Amino acid sequence: MTTALERPRGASALPGAATRIRTGAVQGSPAVLSIVAMIAIVILAAVIQPGVLSMNGITLMLTAAVPLVLATQAQMIIMAVGDIDLGVGALLGLVTVIAATVLTTSPALGLAMLAGIVVVYALLGFIIQRRGVPSIIITLGMSFVWLGLGLELLPTPGGQTPEWLSAIGQWRPELIPAPLVLIAVATVVAWLIARRSRFGTRLRALGSQPATLEKLGWSLVRTRMAAYAVAAVLLILAGLVMASQTRSGDVNSAGNFALMTIAAVILGGGNFAGGRAFPVGAAFGAITLGLITVLLSLVSLPSSFQSAAQGLIVLAVLAGRVITERFIRS
Amino acid sequence: MTSAPTIATPTQHPAVERIRTLWPAWGWSLVGTLVVLVAVIGVSGGSPLQPLSQALTLVPYLVLVAIGQMLVITLGPGNIDVSVGTNVSMASYASVAVGAAAGPGAGLAAAVGAGLAAAACSVIAILVLRIPPIIATLATSLIVSSATLMLADANRSGAPAELRSFVNARVLGVPLTAVLVAILTVAVVIVLRRTRFGLAVVATGQNSVAAAKAGLPTRTVTGVTYLISGALAGLAGGLLAAFISPSTSLGTSYLLDSVAVVVIGGTLIAGGRPVPVGVWTGALFFVLLSGLLNLLGLSVGAQNILKGLLVVLVVVISSAATGTGRSTVRRLRASLTLPGTTTKQRNNTDG
Repeated sequence: MTTALERPRGASALPGAATRIRTGAVQGSPAVLSIVAMIAIVILAAVIQPGVLSMNGITLMLTAAVPLVLATQAQMIIMAVGDIDLGVGALLGLVTVIAATVLTTSPALGLAMLAGIVVVYALLGFIIQRRGVPSIIITLGMSFVWLGLGLELLPTPGGQTPEWLSAIGQWRPELIPAPLVLIAVATVVAWLIARRSRFGTRLRALGSQPATLEKLGWSLVRTRMAAYAVAAVLLILAGLVMASQTRSGDVNSAGNFALMTIAAVILGGGNFAGGRAFPVGAAFGAITLGLITVLLSLVSLPSSFQSAAQGLIVLAVLAGRVITERFIRS
Repeated sequence: MTSAPTIATPTQHPAVERIRTLWPAWGWSLVGTLVVLVAVIGVSGGSPLQPLSQALTLVPYLVLVAIGQMLVITLGPGNIDVSVGTNVSMASYASVAVGAAAGPGAGLAAAVGAGLAAAACSVIAILVLRIPPIIATLATSLIVSSATLMLADANRSGAPAELRSFVNARVLGVPLTAVLVAILTVAVVIVLRRTRFGLAVVATGQNSVAAAKAGLPTRTVTGVTYLISGALAGLAGGLLAAFISPSTSLGTSYLLDSVAVVVIGGTLIAGGRPVPVGVWTGALFFVLLSGLLNLLGLSVGAQNILKGLLVVLVVVISSAATGTGRSTVRRLRASLTLPGTTTKQRNNTDG
């Protein structure tokens, strides 16, 4: 479903900023809910522990959110074409393993393996489009392949990432927290791809109106392959960032990322039907979910309650989204 | 919709009908099972019944979980229960905790109850909060895993001896649990073919809008189906507590395995066509394959890679399965050799 926001008006191809803000205010911007939830969590965290608003505090709070934001942008692209990637977590784990083993010992082979992941993802897009098979099952199956490859390369967590990668993880600019910079860059790049490029328009068309896209002469197969390849590049970047932070590899390090990224995309205004891509909303959704974990550790909840609290908060926020959407429509 | 049923209608050409009766939806998984069985016998050199009887001790639990998953998947695009794994783990603790205090029967009831409670949480999220099932059940699985940890902390007892002898009992060499689960499968077949509820599940999966317009209570049907899935996962966990032992990671593999078994068994992933028999052949195939890979001495990593590739391969080969083996092969060839000319709009995507 394309909203009124996306429809070109008259001669101008895109509505101006003023029109956007006005319709956004009237119709409820998809990102509003995730922004509200994020601010609420930051306020709560600041009340409990005032230190979080300092430069160091923000850096610590947001560090874990950077890979999540990158992976969420990848999931957003996959969901924009109407698919779901359940293999995100295992793939990120595999990338950290590659980064901590092969990339250090023989960089060329490591880069070739990462390029191979992109090729495999393009192939998945090909299979999913050509065979009409459900992406959920294909990516669920592939998640086991990623997991298996990771275990073969590095059975127990460990390894050592290359110097240059660790240096990125150690980067601490003076004026602005490093995670904020990385999150902003990732979001802007995803926004340019999904919302400003012709390719992005084709992506969303594939999710909402594949028949029209085909009538216009575009190859559905190639579009889906490209979507998967772009998502794979973003996922590899997410994995590399994660490896740069921990400076080691662990195939299980991103176990719950499939849930987190899907929930973040939904939180940011995306849907399962495809055709919608809101990079800014998705980024805020991912930050919100990342901050929930920080908040839960601040309130010193028993560790066994942590995942239940996470699940309940995800349900509550999504319920909030459903309720606000219904309220806006009526 | 490509999810249309493939049940032969009387108006169809007799030849088509004959092929379809010859080639059921679970045919491929049966072929796979036999191939793996032959390979196992070839490698181990034992009698053909020995690996089969060994597999039958593990298969019932997988079938229990997978039948629930099959019913949920049959509800149509977007329906999947990803909380089955954690449900199994939680129920295993509920079973031993209550079983130690009030007897094995009460323990099993508690396991089923725990599964039902978890499913109720998903159902509320899906029907009342209108959260997509995959997220609703994922959130439920997070809550359930917390509950599992709490139960694990509070409970150190093992499974009652009566329950342990029950799950290890054999009737004429066949595990009693396999017999009972087979009876349950027959019951599910009858429910799906003959009862109002079963037909409503299939109708909802084929076209939920049409089903609702026809006056079927699709919301109730959806809710009950998820509850059944939760109860069956709970039952499997309760029994596994005695067969293996309760653990927080007891059910972890059951998520992918249950989905894989359902898909391998020929159930349409787009919904609307359940194949209960295929759950058995799929589960046998999967368990035998695991045994074969162990026999060959493959590492855990390699086993995962093979399992994952196999699921992808089976889905790709069987995706266009219309019930006839020949057309499946033909379509596969067509889809691989003529790129770009026959691209059809994908209808059976996940929601």
